[in-house]
Amino acid sequence: MISDGVEDEEKWLAAGIAGLQQNAFYMHRALDSNNLRDALKYSAQMLSELRTSKLSPHKYYELYMRAFDELRKLEMFFKEEARRGCSIIDLYELVQHAGNILPRLYLLCTVGSVYIKSKEAPAKDVLKDLVEMSRGIQNPVRGLFLRSYLSQVSRDKLPDIGSEYEGDADTVKDAVEFVLQNFTEMNKLWVRMQHQGPAREKEKREKERSELRDLVGKNLHVLSQIEGVDLELYKDTVLPRVLEQVVNCKDELAQFYLMDCIIQVFPDEYHLQTLDILLGACPQLQPSVDIKTVLSQLMERLSNYAASSTEVLPEFLQVEAFSKLSNAIGKVIEAQVDMPIIGVVTLYSSLLKFTLHVHPDRLDYADQVLGSFVKKLSGKGKIEDSRATKQVVALLSAPLEKYNDIVTALKLSNYPRVLEFLDSGTNKVMATVIIQSIMKNTTHVLTAEKVEALFELIKGLIEDLDGTPDDEVDEEDFKEEQNSVARLIQMFSNDDSEEMFKIICTVKKHILTGGPKRLPFTVPPLVFSSLKLVRKLQAQDENPFGDEASTTPKKLFQLLTQIIEVLLNVPAPELALRLYLQCAEAANDCDLEPVAYEFFTQAYILYEEEISDSKAQVTAIHLIIGTLQRMHVFGVENRDTLTHKATGYSAKLLKKPDQCRAVYACSHLFWVDDQENMKDGERVLICLKRALRIANAAQQMSNATRGSTGSVALFVEILNKYLYFLEKGNPQITVASVQSLIELITTELHSDSTSPEPATDAFFASTLRYIQFQKQKGGAVGERYESIKV
Amino acid sequence: MPSRRRTLLKVIILGDSGVGKTSLMNQYVNKKFSNQYKATIGADFLTKEVQFEDRLFTLQIWDTAGQERFQSLGVAFYRGADCCVLVYDVNSMKSFDNLNNWREEFLIQASPSDPENFPFVVIGNKVDVDGGNSRVVSEKKARAWCASKGNIPYYETSAKEGINVEEAFQCIAKDALKSGEEEEIYLPDTIDVGSSNQPRSTGCEC
Repeated sequence: MISDGVEDEEKWLAAGIAGLQQNAFYMHRALDSNNLRDALKYSAQMLSELRTSKLSPHKYYELYMRAFDELRKLEMFFKEEARRGCSIIDLYELVQHAGNILPRLYLLCTVGSVYIKSKEAPAKDVLKDLVEMSRGIQNPVRGLFLRSYLSQVSRDKLPDIGSEYEGDADTVKDAVEFVLQNFTEMNKLWVRMQHQGPAREKEKREKERSELRDLVGKNLHVLSQIEGVDLELYKDTVLPRVLEQVVNCKDELAQFYLMDCIIQVFPDEYHLQTLDILLGACPQLQPSVDIKTVLSQLMERLSNYAASSTEVLPEFLQVEAFSKLSNAIGKVIEAQVDMPIIGVVTLYSSLLKFTLHVHPDRLDYADQVLGSFVKKLSGKGKIEDSRATKQVVALLSAPLEKYNDIVTALKLSNYPRVLEFLDSGTNKVMATVIIQSIMKNTTHVLTAEKVEALFELIKGLIEDLDGTPDDEVDEEDFKEEQNSVARLIQMFSNDDSEEMFKIICTVKKHILTGGPKRLPFTVPPLVFSSLKLVRKLQAQDENPFGDEASTTPKKLFQLLTQIIEVLLNVPAPELALRLYLQCAEAANDCDLEPVAYEFFTQAYILYEEEISDSKAQVTAIHLIIGTLQRMHVFGVENRDTLTHKATGYSAKLLKKPDQCRAVYACSHLFWVDDQENMKDGERVLICLKRALRIANAAQQMSNATRGSTGSVALFVEILNKYLYFLEKGNPQITVASVQSLIELITTELHSDSTSPEPATDAFFASTLRYIQFQKQKGGAVGERYESIKV
Repeated sequence: MPSRRRTLLKVIILGDSGVGKTSLMNQYVNKKFSNQYKATIGADFLTKEVQFEDRLFTLQIWDTAGQERFQSLGVAFYRGADCCVLVYDVNSMKSFDNLNNWREEFLIQASPSDPENFPFVVIGNKVDVDGGNSRVVSEKKARAWCASKGNIPYYETSAKEGINVEEAFQCIAKDALKSGEEEEIYLPDTIDVGSSNQPRSTGCEC
């Protein structure tokens, strides 16, 4: 049935247009032959089409626009008539002979517009006459369109100040009076419409009313465009009269829409100066009116105004805009007990944005807004509505965006209290927002106290809030979050060592609550942060032994031991080993031999007891060798113990090639370039020979198994080590041994039993080229290469 | 004698909220400007007489609401437009990006007989703001877009300072006049030579 309704409507519209066009055709002919009588007759018949009740507002508007266009031609004809000497007053009388009232009034308005233009009568009188006579149409749709026509044709003829239709005295008031009267009548027609027709069509009627709303609202636009409406006139007449209409009509749709219109069409300055009046109307509206949206829009407008120029800010202060808005919101929330939480958040969010724009220096205002919000939330548990939580995130993000500085936001005492009403997921989102803000602005958090406060805000990322770990968290998301925490920890810094030490202790306290999944992310940045302080203290070199109270490297190393130890329970032995080695190196640079030795011991224990995966072992042993090579703090005995163990571990790796590589790497432990007492050529050679033996064994194994390749590469690698030590002047490395190694490799590469290894061929060829190059270069190094034959 | 119809030229101004449509119209018609932002509701026109090649025309300039929620009755007033003015704010990229939507929406709703050649004019307004320092849409970019849409004439204006407004509307009037938009020609099925043409509609006399 509904589709039939739509089809029927199309038919009626088509019929209406046809009738209109036919009469317009005859009207044109009459106009072309200057036949006034026929022109009036056909225009009246044409306008009769607008008497239909069968069209929805949209369709009616289409018909109306066609009639409207035709009437412009008639209007021009009237103007020409007037120019030709025809009396407009007579014309004004003449059109009143039209049989039907609706066509008559359209014609009257059209002539009236020419009448005002001719200035044969004061605009005021003609307008008054027209607006009074329009009362003759009481059908809402027809009446609204007729009055909208009147409003449109009179639009540029209002006796505004400076207008050519300006009268003698109080002329703007006449213009305002006319528009207000038209507005009042239109609003009545519009509101009354809901009570007309059967109750079952109420929904359809409300939809149609909604479509018609702009016809009513346009009057407010016209008022705002009247230049003579200054603040005084607006405050004393326009706003009170409009609001009276709004409040008294007691209609939800009209009230919400018209409040929105008032806010949008009148200028910001006027709103500021009439806040009391405007806000005073809010509690008088129907309880079902969506006041939060109305108020939010008002505050948004004013916020934008405040943001537009600092010059306007004094206006806000002068009228105490903040306290007025704050009060109004308080009252609305108090009055509407059932307002959903999303409404409450929206209101406070708008108010907060407002105060941030208008009073950026008044943190207490911002805190007050948050405080009121907390008060409203208290006792209600966590916010469950997801739209509301989104709004809360927006609310809490506003101060960060405004100040670009978390340190300022940390001063808002109610900030963390708001966070408590968010579920753990949203808490994490908020924490991420906070961290991003810090990273974006590279804000350095300078004191332990602020670090403490900050951890309070982001605790959603630091620990499992409801006690149990959340299984549903996506692995990727979790990594992302924890990486951001890690980045954050790097942002804590203070040039004062004592304060920095406090910061480190604070961070430690918090991250240790994070549990085994978080620690591998959070421990490393803290360790490096502490090591940074160690290096700073070492560089200052003031009071290296320190007294009890002050921060010393030693004290930090104790702390570091505790921090890294927690990784053992995770367990994360590989990570712990790396960190121990980092610490050992730092202790080395501080000349703290026992400390460095202790870290190495810890690393060795981990290696022996916890790291069992063969690949992990390979990585670990190379890290150990690399670090140990750089250590200079150890005495002979300690160093011997550590290198002995390292070579021992190397030879015990699972796979032969791994053994080989680790063992030849150990050769560097006995030859340190810049230390004269660390050049033990003999033990270097022992390592290399041992590596050769392992490579041999590997070679035999691969021959036995066939297929497995790569062992010749080991020989080439060892050859490179030989060359290295040859260059460095290790007397144990002889040209003869290099020579025989080259021959060995050449033979192996050409042997039938080995499968071709292009990479190894290339590696070997490059090595030989290098030897050539060094020979040609000459000098001290070249001499050592002299007798090698390639 | 020229046809009566051709002396009225209908122009529609479209563009995002706050780009200065109403201000441009007020500056052109009334030589007035207000810095205050006032939203427009529905559609609304002002007229201005213009002289062109010794003939007098009435320019009917339709100002429209940029905010969708203030356009509840639809856009039936697009019908019969002779020229469409697309306005953006040179300090707002979004308002420039939306020109395309406004243009397409206009062509769909107004359905002119020859959409390819329907006259548009683009205006980049508010060139005065902050001495041009807050500008984000370059003239080059705007001109490139205009060129890509069939060489739409382009003007940069300041409704506030009255810069280029007159020139832009001169062009608008000229293009509106040139526009081949003929009103649909209506011929009645039967030409009633008698004079007793009764109104079709019946019903009450209200």
